[in-house]
Amino acid sequence: MGASASPASMSPSRKLFGENIAETVAQSFGKQFSHDEHRGDERKDPEHDANQAQDMRKAQEQQSIASQHSKEETSSPDEIAEAPAKKKLGQSSKLLRIEDFNLLKTLGTGTFARVWLAKLSKPRSEEEKEGIFALKVLRKVDVIKLKQVEHVRNERNTLRAVAGHPFITTLKRTFSDRECLYMVLDYCPGGELFTYLRRARRFNEPTSRFYAAEIVLILEFLHETEGVAYRDLKPENILLDADGHIKLVDFGFAKKLGNTETYTLCGTPEYLAPEVIKNTGHGKAVDWWAFGILLYEFLIGQPPFWDPNPMKIYSKIVGGHIPFPTVPIDFVRQQQRDRTPSANTGLETQRPSKQTESSQKSSHLTPDQPPRRSEKTRNSQGQEMSLFPAPAARSLILAVCTSNPSQRLGNLAGGVQQVKDHEFFKDVDWDALYKKTMKGPIIPSYSGGIDASCFDEYAPPTSEELQERFTDEMDQGYGEAFAEF
Amino acid sequence: MSNFPGGHTNPFGGPSSSGMQRVKEDEEMDTLVSPQGASFQPGGFGRASGSSPFGGSFNPQPVGDADLPANYTLGRRTSVSAESMNPAASASDNWSPPSHSKTQDQISRISAAVAANFLFSHLDDEQKYLVLDALFEKPIPAKGIKVISQGDAGDNFYVVEKGNFDVYIHPSGSIQAGSDGLGKKVASIGPGGSFGELALMYNAPRAATIISTEAGSLLWALDRLTFRRILMDAAFQRRRMYESFLEEVTLLSSLTAYERSKIADALETQKFAAGDVIIKEGDIGEAFFLLESGTAAVTKAENGDKVLLQYSKGDYFGELALLDDKPRAASVHALTDVKVASLGKDGFRRLLGPVEERMREQDPSKRQAGAQTGARAAAHAPHASLGGDGVDPLQS
Repeated sequence: MGASASPASMSPSRKLFGENIAETVAQSFGKQFSHDEHRGDERKDPEHDANQAQDMRKAQEQQSIASQHSKEETSSPDEIAEAPAKKKLGQSSKLLRIEDFNLLKTLGTGTFARVWLAKLSKPRSEEEKEGIFALKVLRKVDVIKLKQVEHVRNERNTLRAVAGHPFITTLKRTFSDRECLYMVLDYCPGGELFTYLRRARRFNEPTSRFYAAEIVLILEFLHETEGVAYRDLKPENILLDADGHIKLVDFGFAKKLGNTETYTLCGTPEYLAPEVIKNTGHGKAVDWWAFGILLYEFLIGQPPFWDPNPMKIYSKIVGGHIPFPTVPIDFVRQQQRDRTPSANTGLETQRPSKQTESSQKSSHLTPDQPPRRSEKTRNSQGQEMSLFPAPAARSLILAVCTSNPSQRLGNLAGGVQQVKDHEFFKDVDWDALYKKTMKGPIIPSYSGGIDASCFDEYAPPTSEELQERFTDEMDQGYGEAFAEF
Repeated sequence: MSNFPGGHTNPFGGPSSSGMQRVKEDEEMDTLVSPQGASFQPGGFGRASGSSPFGGSFNPQPVGDADLPANYTLGRRTSVSAESMNPAASASDNWSPPSHSKTQDQISRISAAVAANFLFSHLDDEQKYLVLDALFEKPIPAKGIKVISQGDAGDNFYVVEKGNFDVYIHPSGSIQAGSDGLGKKVASIGPGGSFGELALMYNAPRAATIISTEAGSLLWALDRLTFRRILMDAAFQRRRMYESFLEEVTLLSSLTAYERSKIADALETQKFAAGDVIIKEGDIGEAFFLLESGTAAVTKAENGDKVLLQYSKGDYFGELALLDDKPRAASVHALTDVKVASLGKDGFRRLLGPVEERMREQDPSKRQAGAQTGARAAAHAPHASLGGDGVDPLQS
């Protein structure tokens, strides 16, 4: 376990960036200086002035990202939706450099990106010293080679637009140098929900409901306020913060769609919606399909469609039959109860008036009751068996996992509200949830600071990862595309 | 899960080169054994692998449903993505699918070879024709040629026209150096067989090596961009066609463009053979129809066989069913083979909610009362001018 920043775990990062940094910095300062020199009327040493001004602005920048960390507040959807240009969060910084950060530990890797736990290398105050970040480093050459330029731009722009949402990773700043693009994100110390789910095998119903409900709030915001489809919902992309609330990360496939459709296939095999596989055009409704798969995986421990051969997964998805397991009936009842040790899912709030109101609203369903007689069978030992999960959960899964997106809950008249009104969520206090008045059902064991023990260990960057360089030719072709960073 | 280098990868995902990831203890039959979804020991997380906090202390109770795969791999799943495709950007590039001429025999053989493949089975006739036409010949002149190599990037899908091919899989996930670098022979594929279809979805590494076993073999090949472009163009054009048809529907003119595009999304294609009845006089109207191709005729029992009106491409009928539960006032039957796009009343309401009031203001049967709208209604809705009284024969 490399929870702390040992010199050993830091050295790869130095190797990774050491050489290019000096070069890049020199280049960019060089430009700046020659520009200033041409002003002519400067009496003092222009280099010295520029240097000082630069230093001051950079100090402000550092202070700014560190202070946002310490007093991060939840913004309302409307506040977040204000013009991104007005917000500090998510802006591009022309001053920050990779050398301003110490890269402590890899939190995750991909084919063209690596996320580091990072701190400021030259803190100028206690606040800056405390500031902890997740620094996502994308290698331009790989982004281009893997044809992900458009996706990276979408990610940057979406994260900037949504910065401030309580359940979405906060993009503080971006910057770039010749080789890489950098995204300074908030550090979410609880690690991936994926890890907790696999350890527990499956979540009970209250726990599943808590995470599902927070995701509903995310999708409501992304779809209805921002017009964005997320397109890669899965437990791997959901992190837990110190209080057990979720943060959605990795917006590589997020795209502002409004009410139009798009055609590029993307997502994760088990979570792809049928219309994505069939290439008939897809919209925000793909997120509701994936939401159903996710809830299924929370409750049952694995997604409904799987095969070692991906083509067979797709064939099953297009086939449209969602298999539910049969289990002993006691198990169904047990899973519906809240047995969470922290005894606090934040959801089953004591608001009787609200409960009555919402249970009247959707009386067509029968949750929290033993399954209907027709669903019960006996196994060979005479044990009473029933379909799993319980009816309300199954009904929600089936309502969002419809092959035809025009019949999919969340994508119908009423939009997200219909999902929120579903029986499965009948006791959820949505306002309290958004304001995070309660802690989550799983509290990560986080000792504070740079503790990253909730994340898996990753190998340091290989020399192969660093071989290919961003060429002048690429800069001509794609320099413009990365200008926003 | 295998790792797809052509795909976008989750930066929080697994190590990029680890291939199949498994949590060893979880390979056994899945059992529902952990009632506490959330009882975790502090410090129990963060290791790459480890024993379950519940290890062995519960009585396993097997899942009874055989539909659930028991061997689910519990590792992190890698994201995938295909090349970015944008119909708006491609509208101007004058692309048309490649066409490689084939004999009728060849077409039916290819058609049979892909019939069971779900990527092809949901295509309509037109799309299928374009796709089959786009397959190109790939002669394999000699024995021992690797058509695809395990681990390589995937580009084409292949159908075997002539010859036999052996399939090898190496457990490492890619071809290795040395005499047995291909791994084990797991199958062979002869004429009418096909392989490499995952390449039609996105660029994933090839899962096997395929080698020719005789000289003079022949394959048909189809590349991903062509395949997906054909599908995208067809879907895009169909949507825009529906949207333009819907703009002409007087009854829907009070809806927003977004509402109409939702209807366009929801329309389902139905086919009728010449002579088939599409709407029957006296039935309660449940759906409305746009005529996509072919011609249809309106008749009323009181007029016998007399064709009162003909519908052709772009015409619509039966839309008053969206407002009322009245019986159909006339019948419509197909004169030729007919393709219609239809939407039922229930689907309509689910999709748009209570829009009837807005629509009622545009109800052509009501508007006929005001005489000056007659000509306009007739121009936009041919059925509305029937018999000079301007009333929809289907819904009078």
